[in-house]
Amino acid sequence: MKIIPQSSLTPLAGRRFWFAVLIAPSFLVLVTFLIIPFLGLARLSLLPGERAFDAEGVSAIQYGKLFVDGYFLSVLAETFALGAIVAVICAVLGFPVGYSLARLPARARRWRLIAVVLPLTLSLVVVVFGWMVVLGRTGVLNNMLMGMGLIDRPLRMVFNHGSVVFVLVQQFLPFMILSVMGVVSHVDTVLEEASANLGANRLTTFRRVILPIAAPGIVSGMLLVFILTISAFITPRLIGGSRVQMIGAVIYEQIVVLLNWPAGAAMSIILLLITIILLVSARAVSAILTGGRT
Amino acid sequence: MKMTSDLSDIILHYGGFLLRGFVYVMMVTPAVIVVGASFTSGSLLSFPPEGFSLQWYERVWSSDQFMRAMGTSAYLAIAATVIALVIGLTGAFVLDRYRFPGRSMFQALMLSPIIIPMVVLALALLQFMSWIGINQTFAGLLFGHVLIMLPYVVRTLGTGLGLLNKTLEEASLNLGASPPTTLRRVTIPLLAPSIIAAGVFAFVTSFGNVTLSVFLASASTVTLPVQIFSFVESSYDPTVAAVSSIVIVITLVVILVIEKVVGVSRVVGK
Repeated sequence: MKIIPQSSLTPLAGRRFWFAVLIAPSFLVLVTFLIIPFLGLARLSLLPGERAFDAEGVSAIQYGKLFVDGYFLSVLAETFALGAIVAVICAVLGFPVGYSLARLPARARRWRLIAVVLPLTLSLVVVVFGWMVVLGRTGVLNNMLMGMGLIDRPLRMVFNHGSVVFVLVQQFLPFMILSVMGVVSHVDTVLEEASANLGANRLTTFRRVILPIAAPGIVSGMLLVFILTISAFITPRLIGGSRVQMIGAVIYEQIVVLLNWPAGAAMSIILLLITIILLVSARAVSAILTGGRT
Repeated sequence: MKMTSDLSDIILHYGGFLLRGFVYVMMVTPAVIVVGASFTSGSLLSFPPEGFSLQWYERVWSSDQFMRAMGTSAYLAIAATVIALVIGLTGAFVLDRYRFPGRSMFQALMLSPIIIPMVVLALALLQFMSWIGINQTFAGLLFGHVLIMLPYVVRTLGTGLGLLNKTLEEASLNLGASPPTTLRRVTIPLLAPSIIAAGVFAFVTSFGNVTLSVFLASASTVTLPVQIFSFVESSYDPTVAAVSSIVIVITLVVILVIEKVVGVSRVVGK
């Protein structure tokens, strides 16, 4: 194995020894708590029965059952549809914010950036609880609407697809904003100025200059939002109730309520494979978008 | 920069202004509402709060359940942060200072917990831990949390190491300091802001995590977010708002610390 030190602090003499010492902690943790558990998960999904305890045998029956299970397939379709909707809304809302953050002077950016990072850092359950207080039957929004005389009895705003999409958008928008901001802030403003100087109006500059610059950020942001949405389960469970079925919540139910680990494992492996396929194909798309530049 | 103005300009200008305003309001709404509602003197959750009182904070203070959960969360977050920093620091150092076969694979694995669906990761860990007999234990929860912190820690420290001026290390070595002394007196101090930022971000990642903990926590290791989750799932009163407000304040302090030492965008940006 060829190990090449990159600085004077990591001398050539005894490099194998120091390399082994330094890589050991992370290597051991990754093997023990990431690689082996995922191999175990794959194995679990190949058990024939409904219980994992003392089970033996190898069979693809869990997958076979899932692929003819109308309920599971409809949940999968609903999850993907919600993922796509949330990703598109996040792109539309997140792009202008990310772009403007990248172009603002550092001082003006600070508080705006903190506002964007807050929902990202804050415990998910607190964010969802906040929206329950806003959208609930006796919530802020209902009280406001009744106070203004627009409605005379409270509307039911939670336990539907709209509210789940809304709350997921709020949760994942920061990823989109930061992704666009990251890409745009690496590009000099000279391109936009040139476009303006050449007489292009905002719309043309936006369409012909800004959008192509930000495209890789939008693509990777949408992908991340999609992946996060299809694996969400706290939000659909608390905001969607039993009316909005997403794969994450169904897996949770299989494991925690029904205790059918093999079926839950098979669903998880399917979700994981879809995620991996998406990531790999998105890398190909973004390679085309950037014209081979990375 | 002067742009020609026509109708589409005006629409884009004001439309953009409104849209950005909407997004910023949307970002802070849940936190503002929760903190506001926690000060109510009434017995129902409402915003704006009726009057002002700290009674719900007193209720949290005297609640065994919430205080124990808060203790568990703090202890767990601190322990996991320390472990994640040791692992992340050595890992990021290896990535920065060595070229070796499988390097990009190793890096991808370190960063992967951020994109693996959390439910899937949780189930993988749950079955592994019950297989080796440490499910429902603190150790299982601990290493689960270390794993989800790793991407942030490695990325923050990796950027820090990449930006570090290596000629300072060389000067120290040339002046006769040994590599361990140089590491201790030059590299680590220069890296301190990144270590602090990575540490506090890791802390808050663990402190607020609910998705992984719901699977891995047991009756004796209920974390604060799991406690809030189980409360909110059935019914809720202003106590939940008060305890959530405490989480919000801790999170905000962490963000401000990061902003102060390295800038928020280095930890969460690209």
